[in-house]
Amino acid sequence: MERMGRTDLPPEQQEALRKAIRWEWFTVGYTIVTIALIALVVGGSQAMKTAWIEDMLSLIPQLAFLAALLLIRRPPSRTFPYGLHQVTETGHLIAGVALLAIGGSLAIESALGLVNAEHPAIGTVVLFGQTIWMGWLMVSVMAVTMIGPFFYGHAKSKLAPVLHNKVLYADADMAKADWTTTAASIIGVLGVGLGLWWLDGAAALFISLGIVWDGWRNTSMAVRDLLDQRALTVDSKKPHPLSDRIVQALNAQPWVRDAAVRVRDMGQVFHVEAFVVPHRGRVSVARIEAARAAIARMDWKMQDVVVIPVRELPAEADRPRDAPAA
Amino acid sequence: MVGLLVSAMLVLGGCGVPVDPGGTLERIDAGILRAGASASGGLVVVSTPAAGQPVDVTGPLADLVEGFAETRGARVVWTSGSEEELVDGIEDGSLDLAIGGMTDATPWADRASVTRGYSDIPGADGRSIVLLLPLGENGTQSALERYLDEELG
Repeated sequence: MERMGRTDLPPEQQEALRKAIRWEWFTVGYTIVTIALIALVVGGSQAMKTAWIEDMLSLIPQLAFLAALLLIRRPPSRTFPYGLHQVTETGHLIAGVALLAIGGSLAIESALGLVNAEHPAIGTVVLFGQTIWMGWLMVSVMAVTMIGPFFYGHAKSKLAPVLHNKVLYADADMAKADWTTTAASIIGVLGVGLGLWWLDGAAALFISLGIVWDGWRNTSMAVRDLLDQRALTVDSKKPHPLSDRIVQALNAQPWVRDAAVRVRDMGQVFHVEAFVVPHRGRVSVARIEAARAAIARMDWKMQDVVVIPVRELPAEADRPRDAPAA
Repeated sequence: MVGLLVSAMLVLGGCGVPVDPGGTLERIDAGILRAGASASGGLVVVSTPAAGQPVDVTGPLADLVEGFAETRGARVVWTSGSEEELVDGIEDGSLDLAIGGMTDATPWADRASVTRGYSDIPGADGRSIVLLLPLGENGTQSALERYLDEELG
């Protein structure tokens, strides 16, 4: 994939995207195998069931990422004049709401199980002619599936900032935290083995609260982006440095008296509205066009740029934080 | 990691993991297995006792329960009743085990632990017969299933 809407991807992003697609397909495959393996041993443990459902839920951001790629490559049209970039955020929102809803219901289920003192039943299976406790199989399966997310979590978290893709970032973030889920389910099952029935419910509650937390974070991140919050870094922690760089570049132009910018994150690319107050209240189309082209050249994410000459800067537009307010 | 796990399995398996949270297996080992029976064809035969006499339960499934109790050094005290009465007994702690014509499709699974299905019991007629235990008494369940696997396997 070389284009995203009207954005030509530079070689570094093309390479990162190719890798991200490979990693996501690998993850989907790995997760499906994990789900099938856990299905064989899920038994009567609430912690196992919760971890199992969490694995199913983790497919949503992965599939959302892949599905969004099919749509965001389309160029802008009359019907969708900004392109379809926000499909990424829509996918992010769907994933977040799914995590929130199912995580919440699992948390309630686990808490009720604890309150009602439901003792988890875990029996035996016959394996190679031996009768063994199913708990050992659960622990083994969970220990084996613990390994994968370490690798793909870190690989994806390296690619997400390069692509400025928040779904990929959130997905990587969840994968990196996945070991806590797996460890919790192992502790829950071992607890049952030692006769501590409540450890299973406690582990399930811990896992489901983790899902709720992921859901809350992703939902609020996606909603904020869909509400066109100012562009933030891929981890949504601080304002994206490009906004400041645009204003500084504009202010360096001799014809610009003052400048400010509104940048919204469309998913992976930015939509930039730059406001400039020209000296003497006039500016030529050629200068505006040159400024627009210069901003577009600053970063691959910014190809949808407008430069608007104004008499006064809008108060809500961004300007470098150290600059005095106009 | 795997080595650690295998050694943990051997060590913990050796000291009787899984453990019953309610101590059923310990009580059985102390000498008495309180079993409930609900009559079912040739599988479980309950004969109505004369007044003041204990219930007499026979049949292949009852024999298996007697055999299990024997391996634990316990004797069986039988109670008879409908399936629901037996499940109530299991829930309130007055029974350690219940037998009858229950199969692996039993609707009691959320009120009692259900063993794996055994279709090789004489009189099972191809049904996958299960035994009911107090919910989550995994030590008893493991011991019982191990015994049944050896007897029927």
